[in-house]
Amino acid sequence: MSTTTKPSPAIAPAPTKRSPLSRHNLGTVVGFEFTRTVKKPRFWIATLAIPVVMAIIFVLIFASNTSTSATAQAQKNASLNFTYTDESGIISEAAAAAMGGSKASDPDTALSAVRAGTSDAYFAYPANPATDTVKVYGTDRGVFANNTYEAVAKQLLAVAAQTTINSPELTAAAGGEVKVQTETFRDGNVSGGFGSALPPLMFLLLFYVVILLLSNQMLNSTLEEKENRVTEMILTTLNPTTLIVGKIISLFLVGLVQVSVFLAPVVVGYVFFRDRLAMPDFDLSSLTFEPGPLIIGALLLLNGFTLFTAVLVAIGAVMPTAKEAGVIFGPLMALIFVPFYAISLILSDPTAPIVQVFTYFPLSAPVTAMLRNGFGTLGTGEAIFIIAMLFILGVLILRLAVHLFRYGSIQYSSKLSITKTLRRRPAELTGK
Amino acid sequence: MTAGGTATEPLVHIKDFRMDFGETTVIKDLSFDVQAGETFGFLGSNGSGKTTTLRALLGIYQPTAGTLHIDGKPFEPRDGARLGYLPEERGLYKKEHVLDVMVYFGRLKGLSKAEARTWSLEYLERVKLADKANLNVDKLSGGQQQKIQLGVTIMNNPELLILDEPTKGFDPVNRRLLMDIIEEQKLAGATVIMVTHQMEEVERLCDRVILLKDGTSRAYGTVSEVQDQFGGTIYRLSFEGALPASDLFEIVSHGPGTADLAPRDGATETAVLRELISSGVGVRSFTTERVSLEDIFISVYGEQNTLAEA
Repeated sequence: MSTTTKPSPAIAPAPTKRSPLSRHNLGTVVGFEFTRTVKKPRFWIATLAIPVVMAIIFVLIFASNTSTSATAQAQKNASLNFTYTDESGIISEAAAAAMGGSKASDPDTALSAVRAGTSDAYFAYPANPATDTVKVYGTDRGVFANNTYEAVAKQLLAVAAQTTINSPELTAAAGGEVKVQTETFRDGNVSGGFGSALPPLMFLLLFYVVILLLSNQMLNSTLEEKENRVTEMILTTLNPTTLIVGKIISLFLVGLVQVSVFLAPVVVGYVFFRDRLAMPDFDLSSLTFEPGPLIIGALLLLNGFTLFTAVLVAIGAVMPTAKEAGVIFGPLMALIFVPFYAISLILSDPTAPIVQVFTYFPLSAPVTAMLRNGFGTLGTGEAIFIIAMLFILGVLILRLAVHLFRYGSIQYSSKLSITKTLRRRPAELTGK
Repeated sequence: MTAGGTATEPLVHIKDFRMDFGETTVIKDLSFDVQAGETFGFLGSNGSGKTTTLRALLGIYQPTAGTLHIDGKPFEPRDGARLGYLPEERGLYKKEHVLDVMVYFGRLKGLSKAEARTWSLEYLERVKLADKANLNVDKLSGGQQQKIQLGVTIMNNPELLILDEPTKGFDPVNRRLLMDIIEEQKLAGATVIMVTHQMEEVERLCDRVILLKDGTSRAYGTVSEVQDQFGGTIYRLSFEGALPASDLFEIVSHGPGTADLAPRDGATETAVLRELISSGVGVRSFTTERVSLEDIFISVYGEQNTLAEA
C-alpha cells in the first residue's frame, strides 16, 4: 500500500543501552535547556548590556578623574594672594607669609581690595576661633574652586596652632590623628571584627545576584511546557522530577555564565586600571575567614536558593501564563528586600520581635539570617534551625512543584486548583 | 514495556476503568484489551472519553477506579523509551530549531545524539521538510508542525504507538503519507492504538476496534464482529412510493428515492423484498452490502444527536 520510494527512516536505530535512563535524561535536559538559553541573541544582549553600561561608566570615570587630577594639580600650583586680620593672636606672620598671606591693617580696606579684585581673599580670625566664626571673603572662582579659601584659612589656623603647641605628638593627639588597633574576643578567641563580617556577607550578595538574575527564568521554566502544549509529550517520556531538577541545574549554570560576564569588566578594571579608575585598593589581609560563619553562610545561600527556586517553579506550575504568574512574582520578590527596611534593628537588636519574625519567616529568613550571620548575632542553634527549616521547606515545596506540574500542567488554559491537585484527583482539574 | 504482551497477557489491559470529573462520571466500567502487534481503533464522538482513557492509561490522569496496565503494570515515564505517543493536544518547543527539538526528544527516548540527528535528517528529507531543519518550529505551518510531531513520536521505533487523532490538520496528500508511516510501523511489529474519525482508515488498518459512547463500550471486537453486532448486512434500496413500517426491517437512513434498510431478526433479502413489493413500493434497485463502520458510527451517534436536539 505504501507509495513511498525514498528510504524510510521509520525503523529507528535501537536505543543505546544506558543505565539508568533517568540520569541520562537529566544530562539531556540540562544540556538542552542550557544550550538553548545561551545560544539566543537576546540572552547575550541582556547579559552584555550590564557590562557595557559598566564599561561606559568606567570610561566616564576615567575621563573625569583625568580632568579632575589636572585641575587639582593646576590649583595646587596656583598661589593664593590673601590678607588677614587676627584678633586671637594665634596666627604667625611667618606662617601666613609662607602660604602667600600678609596681615591687613584695616578690615574694610582688605575687604574692599577683595571686592575690587586686587586681592584674592581676606580672612578675619575672631578672638576665639573655637567659639566664634572665622569669616572668609574671596573673589568668585566657581563653586568648587571657592572651597580653596576656606581650606587655606583652616590650614593657616592649624599651622599656627601647631607652632604654638610646638609638639608633634600633642598636635597629632589634638587633631585625632592617631592609629588605633582594636582587638575583640569571642569565646576566649580573638574575633575578626569587620574583617570577619565581609566574607560571610558575600553569600548574601551572591544570593541577591542569583535570585535577581534567575528568578524570572525560574518562574517561566515550567510555564513554557504549558504554553507550548508540550506537557503530554514530556510526561510520557520524562519523570517530571528529572525535568524540573534539570531545569534548575541549567538555570544555575546560566547564572554562573552571567555572573562571569558581569564580573569580567570589574576584574579587568581592578587589575589593569585600578589607579586610573580610582578603585579602592582592597587589603585582603584584613579579612578574616572564620570557618563557622562561612559554612553557615554557604548553607543559608544553598537552602535559600532551593526554597525560592521551588516556590517560583510551583507558581509556574499553577499559573497558566507568564503574565498571570507575574502578579504573584512581584510581592514574592519584595520579601527578599523587606529585611533591609529593618537592617539597623537587625544589626543592633537581633532579639527584637520584628527581627525574630524576619528570621523565622521562610521567605525573609535567608536574607535576615545571612545578615545576622555576617555580623555575628546569629547563634549556632538558631542557624541550624533556620538551615534545617529552609532545607525541609525547600524540598517539600519542590516536591509540591513537581506534583503540581505532574498533575496540573495538563490544565493548559486555566489556573490550577492546588487543593484539588493535592487530593490527587487530576481528572477533576480539567473541569471537563 | 520490554517483552510485549503474550498470548495470555495482552500488551494493554484496561479493566473496570472509571473516571469521574467532579460530580460527573465520564467513563463507566470500561474494559478492553489490546494484543501485542495488533492495530486497534479507538472510536467515538467528541467527548465520549477516548482521550481521557488514553491519558489515564499513560498516567497523565489518575483513574477514579479500575486497572490500566501496559505490559502488565501501570505506565511510568521510564517506559517512554518504548512508547510513541501523539497526543490530541499537539505542541513542540516553538522557539527552537526543528532539528534541535527532534534530537532532544530522541535523546530523551534513549537514542544517542548522532542516532537522533541522523534519523531526524532522514525523516525530514522524507516528509519534504529538510530545508526547514534549522528554522524555528513556529515558522512552520500547522501541517508541517504535525509532521515534525509525528516524527518525534515514531523516532524511537516504539513497541506501542498511541495516536490520538493523527490525521487532524492534515490535507489528503499528507494524510496518505501519515497512513503509510503508520502502516510501516505496524509492519515493523508495533502495536498501534489509534483514535480517529476516519472510518475508512479504521476499516483498512485496524484489526480490532472499540466504540465508546457516553463513557461505555457500545461495540468491541474485530471489524467484522462489530459489523455483525450491528446487523452485519444492509439493503440499499432505490424506489418510488412510500416505505411501509415493517417488523422485517429497520430504516437506517432515508433520502429522496433511496433508503438503507437493516434486516431484523435475520430476515432474508427475499422476505424483505417481497414485503416491499406487497406494500406497493416501486423497487428500482435492491442491493445487499456489508454495513460499514461509518454507518454504524452514524447509527450510534446520530441517535445521540437526535436525542440532544430533542
